[in-house]
Amino acid sequence: MSDHALRFEDVRFRYPDTSRDALTEVTLDIDEGTFALAVGPTGAGKSTLLRASNGLVPHFTGGTFRGRVTVDGRDTLEFPPRKLADAVAFVPQDPGASFVLDRVEDELAYGMENLGVDPAHMRRRVEETLDLLDIEPLRARSVRTLSGGERQRVAIAAALAAGPRILVLDEPTSQLDPQGAEHAVAALQRLVHDQGITVLLAEHRLERVAGFVDLALGFSDGHVEVGPPAEVIRRLAMGPPVARLGRLAGWDPVPLTVREARRMGAALIGDAGPPRVQVATPGPALVELRGVEVRHGDVPALRDIALTIGRGEIVAVMGRNGAGKTTLLRAIAGVHEPFRGRVTVDGHIPQPGVDTGMCPQEPESILFAETVADEVRTTLKARGLGTGPEPVLEALGIEDLAGRHPRDLSAGQRLLVATAAVAAGLAPAILLDEPTRGLDPDAKDRLVRYLRRHAADGGVAMLATHDVELAAAVATRVVMLAGGEVIADGDPGVVLGDSTVFAPQMTRAFGPGWLTPEQVAEALA
Amino acid sequence: MHPAAWLVWATCAGLVTFTTTDPFYLSMIVAVAWFVYAAQRIPGPMARSFRVFAIAGLVTMAVRTALVFFGTVDASSVAFAALEGARLATLLVVFGTFNAVTDPFGVVRLAPRRFHEPALAAALALSIAPRTIAMVGQVREAQRMRGLRTAGWRTLPALAVPVLETGMDEAVTLAESMDARGHGRGRRSRYRPARWSTGAVVMTVCALVAAAVFMVAAFTGRGGLHPSTFPLTWPDAEPVLLATIALLAVPGVLPRQKADG
Repeated sequence: MSDHALRFEDVRFRYPDTSRDALTEVTLDIDEGTFALAVGPTGAGKSTLLRASNGLVPHFTGGTFRGRVTVDGRDTLEFPPRKLADAVAFVPQDPGASFVLDRVEDELAYGMENLGVDPAHMRRRVEETLDLLDIEPLRARSVRTLSGGERQRVAIAAALAAGPRILVLDEPTSQLDPQGAEHAVAALQRLVHDQGITVLLAEHRLERVAGFVDLALGFSDGHVEVGPPAEVIRRLAMGPPVARLGRLAGWDPVPLTVREARRMGAALIGDAGPPRVQVATPGPALVELRGVEVRHGDVPALRDIALTIGRGEIVAVMGRNGAGKTTLLRAIAGVHEPFRGRVTVDGHIPQPGVDTGMCPQEPESILFAETVADEVRTTLKARGLGTGPEPVLEALGIEDLAGRHPRDLSAGQRLLVATAAVAAGLAPAILLDEPTRGLDPDAKDRLVRYLRRHAADGGVAMLATHDVELAAAVATRVVMLAGGEVIADGDPGVVLGDSTVFAPQMTRAFGPGWLTPEQVAEALA
Repeated sequence: MHPAAWLVWATCAGLVTFTTTDPFYLSMIVAVAWFVYAAQRIPGPMARSFRVFAIAGLVTMAVRTALVFFGTVDASSVAFAALEGARLATLLVVFGTFNAVTDPFGVVRLAPRRFHEPALAAALALSIAPRTIAMVGQVREAQRMRGLRTAGWRTLPALAVPVLETGMDEAVTLAESMDARGHGRGRRSRYRPARWSTGAVVMTVCALVAAAVFMVAAFTGRGGLHPSTFPLTWPDAEPVLLATIALLAVPGVLPRQKADG
């Protein structure tokens, strides 16, 4: 066994039928027992590098590969992924598609069965891993019935159970609620500290991981720079909200954790109380729910929901995995009829596509046209609208993608395209179901701008999300669900500030009322 | 329930179906299969496979019968073709039940090591139908929420393209995942082999008895397994054989399978 868990030597890779290198002259060493983070915009090569570290690139992709990748001393060109399975485990971005067996417990054992692990040892490891990821209650469930967050935890557990020395994860917390994400990251950190396992993960929501990692790999256009997280994040001009604050306020080094930000900022802020929140009076009611109960079969998923949402509001629907967020949006969209009570949009029962437009959790499930512009035109035509696709593409900041094929885009770009396809119908209520996977800061900014514009034009926007920072940045109101009931509803500063789990970084650092780095920087100036 | 018990049950029910074209026996088998499905299906997407295969059965039967109209059309040949079709349809229903009551991957794990690969390929192929159906529902709803109706030929791409492309992507991810998790390294051990319960033993024995009785009836030409269609006669059924088919309903009266069966 070598000291370097993972070594890239002058690696250059280009996918077949493309004209640009996905990785360019990448040279790096990751030592054993390192917690490393891959950070950078989507399409900059993170997933490619992750997949190159167990040989999926180039064994499964083809393409032009130069240089050498060694895992635990083994060259990935000589050893295909299955021959590296004992050393490195990989959790892909879409965990649902990676499940081989049906039952959670069997799925955890699958890797060990292939490695020929002794049954008694296997049994023990399965139990330990179930506990480590907090999924014991799911052990007998079919993987096909799990929620997105549950799937993600099972996928991590299944990778871990095989006992790899290196664990590679592509956005492992994208569908987890804040608490679940904290558990998962803490579990990974424990593996690094206690067992000397090497973890390499890609993540956009840096606030969840930046404080835990030892090393950062900063990506831009296939180039990778390696260094201490604070330096890399500063140079990339990305980072969690605390880092953004550091940049706005001109601090050096930029803070990466809430604790660092508090140390650097508390004295400066002093006793200046949080900014008075200008509560904009919402316009006339658009979406109304009265005593709504929604059932899945016989099981109530939402109980006794009463909500009135006025024009101009941007509502973040939050709550842990399985709290009923998606169900609430589907009921408002008009595709899940309530068992009891009444849902109205603009005074009548909502007609999907006309009164409401909803962008699904998987943007891929609505994209089918040859070009982005055609995708938008399809909606316009179905709604009998005579306008061209340009205005809506512009509203989402993706006019430059008009001629591209939707399937060739990055996950974040696809989400923007799907949102454009939904928005084109001009429904007054726009609903987004967990717009998170692959959403890099740039795509996030564009989405935020569109949502604000839609609300300012007298529409309603609702997003089900686990992303507290997104909610803090854009929402004018937060509705918190638990067990199918509304447990809090109101101003983000109050609802999020009141919560230990859902508090954004600025609240954690400087107290309730502070939501965004921009607010704090303004107060400091 | 031990997956092998289901494998034996399905094989025996299939054998019984195979020996007869009598509409009474076939109806009885369909009824028994439905009963077992209703009592023991595993909740989840695979439970849909009963309906899928039942519909496929009806279509098969209709096509088989329609083929007659390309040749000499008379009551006898139509009846003959319809009964042949009914037999195929019944086989499909039995198969649909098998899919809905057991985890196909559980069956794969029973396969001896050297047959593991083909068994796994078969299980993956089997799981495609219900997954595709679930996906169709999901895409249809997503398009509806955007204001697109997906019905008829003109809107087919809006439904078919996302379903097929997502299916392809998933298949590639699955293949990668299997390889990355060491599939095909040649060494294998087995996690928690399934255990035999008394119920599983009873249903296995009953299924074997039913199959044996019908095999004997088939070899000795008794029991009116194949009603004459030249000349066309009214079919007949032996109460003893009907009762034998009822043996296949035993899994339906056993305690409902827990998800961790």
